[in-house]
Amino acid sequence: MKAAPFNYLRPASVTEACEALADDAEARVLAGGQTLVPMLAMRLARPSLLVDITRLDELGAIEDSGEGIAIGAAVRQAVALRSDLIAREVPLLAAALPNVGHPPTRARGTVGGSVAHGDPSAEIALAATILDARIVFLADGEEEVMTPEDFFIGPTVTMAPMGGLLTRVIFPKRPSGRVGAGFREVASRRSDYAFASAGAQVVLDAEGKCIEALLGIGAVGDVPVAVDVSGLAGTGLGEKDIQDAVETALEDLECVEDLHATASYRRRAAARLAGQALEDARVAAMGEAA
Amino acid sequence: MNEHAKPFSGRYVSSDRRVREDTRFVAGAGHFVQDIERPGMLHVALVASQHPAATIEDIDASEALAMEGVVAVVDGNELSNAVNPLMNGLDTPEVRRFPLAVGQNRYAGEWVAAVVATSRALAEDAAEKVKVKGEKLGYVMDPEKAMEADSTPVHPSHGSNVLLDRTFDWGPVEDDFARSDETLKLRVTWGRNSTVPIETFGVICEWNAWENVLEVWASIQMPKYADQIARALGLRGNDVRVYYDVDVGGSYGVKRGIKHTVLAAYLARKLGRPVRLIEDRLENMRSGDAHGPERIFDIGVAFDRDGTINAMKMRALDNAGAYAGRAPFQLGKPIGAIVGPYRINSVQYRAQSVTTNKAVQEAVRGFGQSPTNYALETMMDRVAEHLGMDRIALRRKNFIRSDEFPWEIPSGSKYDSGDYHAVVDKVLAQSGYEDIVAERDRLRADGLCAGIGIAACLEPSGGNSSFEPLLNPKNRTSTWMEGSRVNVDALGDVTVTIHTTSSGQGHETLAATVVGEVLEIDPDRIRVVRPDSLGSLPGNSPVGSRMAIMLGGAAANAARDIKRQISAIAAHSMGVAPDAVTYAEGVVRGPDGRTVEWSEVVDIAHRRFHDLPEGTNPGLTASFIQQVPTGVALPKDGKAQMYPCYSFEFHVVLMAFDPVLAKPEIRRYIIGHDCGTVINPHIVKGMTLGGIAHGIGAALLEEFSYDAEGHLMTQSFLDYLMPSSNEVPEVEIVHHCTPSPFTEFGQKGSGESGYLGAPAAISGAIHDALRPWNIHLNKLPIRMSAISDAIASAKENT
Repeated sequence: MKAAPFNYLRPASVTEACEALADDAEARVLAGGQTLVPMLAMRLARPSLLVDITRLDELGAIEDSGEGIAIGAAVRQAVALRSDLIAREVPLLAAALPNVGHPPTRARGTVGGSVAHGDPSAEIALAATILDARIVFLADGEEEVMTPEDFFIGPTVTMAPMGGLLTRVIFPKRPSGRVGAGFREVASRRSDYAFASAGAQVVLDAEGKCIEALLGIGAVGDVPVAVDVSGLAGTGLGEKDIQDAVETALEDLECVEDLHATASYRRRAAARLAGQALEDARVAAMGEAA
Repeated sequence: MNEHAKPFSGRYVSSDRRVREDTRFVAGAGHFVQDIERPGMLHVALVASQHPAATIEDIDASEALAMEGVVAVVDGNELSNAVNPLMNGLDTPEVRRFPLAVGQNRYAGEWVAAVVATSRALAEDAAEKVKVKGEKLGYVMDPEKAMEADSTPVHPSHGSNVLLDRTFDWGPVEDDFARSDETLKLRVTWGRNSTVPIETFGVICEWNAWENVLEVWASIQMPKYADQIARALGLRGNDVRVYYDVDVGGSYGVKRGIKHTVLAAYLARKLGRPVRLIEDRLENMRSGDAHGPERIFDIGVAFDRDGTINAMKMRALDNAGAYAGRAPFQLGKPIGAIVGPYRINSVQYRAQSVTTNKAVQEAVRGFGQSPTNYALETMMDRVAEHLGMDRIALRRKNFIRSDEFPWEIPSGSKYDSGDYHAVVDKVLAQSGYEDIVAERDRLRADGLCAGIGIAACLEPSGGNSSFEPLLNPKNRTSTWMEGSRVNVDALGDVTVTIHTTSSGQGHETLAATVVGEVLEIDPDRIRVVRPDSLGSLPGNSPVGSRMAIMLGGAAANAARDIKRQISAIAAHSMGVAPDAVTYAEGVVRGPDGRTVEWSEVVDIAHRRFHDLPEGTNPGLTASFIQQVPTGVALPKDGKAQMYPCYSFEFHVVLMAFDPVLAKPEIRRYIIGHDCGTVINPHIVKGMTLGGIAHGIGAALLEEFSYDAEGHLMTQSFLDYLMPSSNEVPEVEIVHHCTPSPFTEFGQKGSGESGYLGAPAAISGAIHDALRPWNIHLNKLPIRMSAISDAIASAKENT
């Protein structure tokens, strides 16, 4: 388990990083390395060049860009988890982050790296999908902005532009009103790749009635998916309301099977977790000042 | 033999003393194979086969050999011409195994060639360039299919895939079945798992041409390792020197890298340079030949309506993998505790071992006992379920009573001692069992699945090897000895020897404690050393939960000899008979109150030959070779005294889970444990907690699974799931002590404790939780999705 030979570059600027990536089709970006490095060791990834972006200050910020909260590609998951800005403005991402890996992997793993890798069970990718975040690449000197729906196309297969560098992911800011989020997942062991995951965000009016509800499911299929629970608007998010909405929303959910979990299990678990996530979101929103 | 009516009360034995090895491990100052550097050392990477079975027509290493740093590429043809096949346990000469595949490979990942280079990374780069040409062959993965007459043979010249098929009838089985009120059949399967140590196997071999000796440093836990190396390489026994002062980073049976060692030794001799082979995780999991038993049990049980179990028929079919090794013997050891802690009058046992195209099986903690205990305890649960009887009451009804020991079971082994009823009573009282039942019912009322698991089982200990002659008539082994030496040097200080490596069992603490106990001196003042194999007394390494009994016995008896010598020298100097003096804390007192100090005896022994009793050799030294306490006779009529001592454990576990997500969570875990006299309580506690963690893995998570194409799917920790600190609960240990009458201080073994009952207990808890649906999940590991799917389909059908 020694990596095949590769070259290593620590660029001084985003421009230099982009040039290096553009010059070499076999180059890969190294950010936190929590997935890439084991793949290198197992020789499942064999890049000719690693472009290490972790020390690029230009990519290290979490900022309110007006349109949303922009998270630079080199921002560690542990830093995002501690961010007051994310906790305040992107509650669903804040709810998802504690489920990402475990403390040692979050200390090195990045938000951008998780998105770029495109694992179907990745919690950050699911949050981005539910919230319709923007994934920003720099390629050929041009910015290319993609939606999660367009970006994630298969298990660890994405529409990342050739030679491009993911520079930031922009999560929309919370809507106004009483907002609550919930995130649930299930795996064999805590911190393992989930068998199924669910994220939800609801907005309530002063009376506790639902104005808007979002739901997404991860880990069960090829990509994380946002599902339609708009029918919950106008309800009080009662147990029956949630159950009916989830049942309808997941009717066509495609689930995969592997050694550890059957497709039927994933489907059932997804529905259970979806209901729990929506209920968690409702409880969290109720706790917000009307 | 010493009679111990009461627990041994010692000055150091059983006392709350620090484990001396812990200091260096906690400080990161252990001395492992990876820490050893030899000048000019070369490194090995392996070329692995890609198919479960394929011929090897041609190996083209030219590209690899042209690469920077590459020194040699060796294949199975070259190696098999130079070394002897590795040892088989059974008399199966046509099942030949060499470190590298010869002519064909027999499982995916099997080593086909070895690449030697100046670094491991360069060797891996070159290994990718070795081209292996051959034709794919048929293969068989399933043990039942492998049994069939028209099955693809893994070893064509052996004639079939059957390594062992032996039926034992102990007692009037058919009569007992006929006279019983009820019978029941069940099938359970133990999935292929193992111990997967944090340190993979590693070895360094160096041929010292000036002394004509092969030097070996290895992460090894193996009986007669040096002998096996010498035999394979055609060397004399005294041409091999194994260093025993190498720390081993975990084992529990699997650190038996004989194939790695023979390969590295051959390369070291061929190349005249030290050669290091350390498995990476993939090699360890896929081709380290270190998987544990994979076993199907078909059980028939005959019992009366009052719960009395009369007879049992057990068929155990074990998938040994591609080669034989010692795997079939793992069906043999459980014969020594085939009825568990129960009075079962007669037993039929059919032991079957077959070859398939999976990785080779190696010894794993308990040597087959944990799967057997899982089968037995599942049987007990089913009988209770069938009769509508309380599971604990059923067990209590069938337990051997404390006044019946020594108790001979139908297969010929005598259990030394025990008080199973007392341990159960203690556990139920201390754990507040009624509260556990109330808690289970409260959880159920909350909509969760909740269940209590019960397991009672034995840990045969003292590592005899009677299963060898029992299953292989050509094998005449009736001793499985262990040696130790105690020296008192010219300054009066004491040094004890251990003649094996240790993989975390605390043998240094053990040896110092028992010698300190006998000589009545502080164990912290006693040094413990490990001479290399050429300077060692005979021994059989720490297998079969034996070292407390065997090394403990050897060191204690050597110390007793020292004490006798000291008393004799002192008595002589006082002019009185040796039996007229008393020894206390190193001082010898005569009948008239005169004393002779330790230092005076040392001075006489080391310097004043003229003051020694006639016929006494100078110096103060004693060696003792401990025979297994009950290991004397060869097996007869299919019966054997297997191990001398039997520890007992009783598990109670409360589990709960959501009926849809079905992630089992352990809410309470209590184990009652009786391993006789405890030498060091911290070591026993550590063994028990680790054993339970291991058992949780076997029950719920760990499996080496192969796909239909014969490839291992779980070849890293991504898919081979070990329990982490999140999955292992707090465990409450309830101690009991029934000393063994056969051992020095009344001690029994504890190296397998926890693991031997935990899988059964966890499976039992899940079944108790599933009782409303009458679901049986008959295979370990029990995966979450299997539980959830079973509940869903049961709900649909009601």
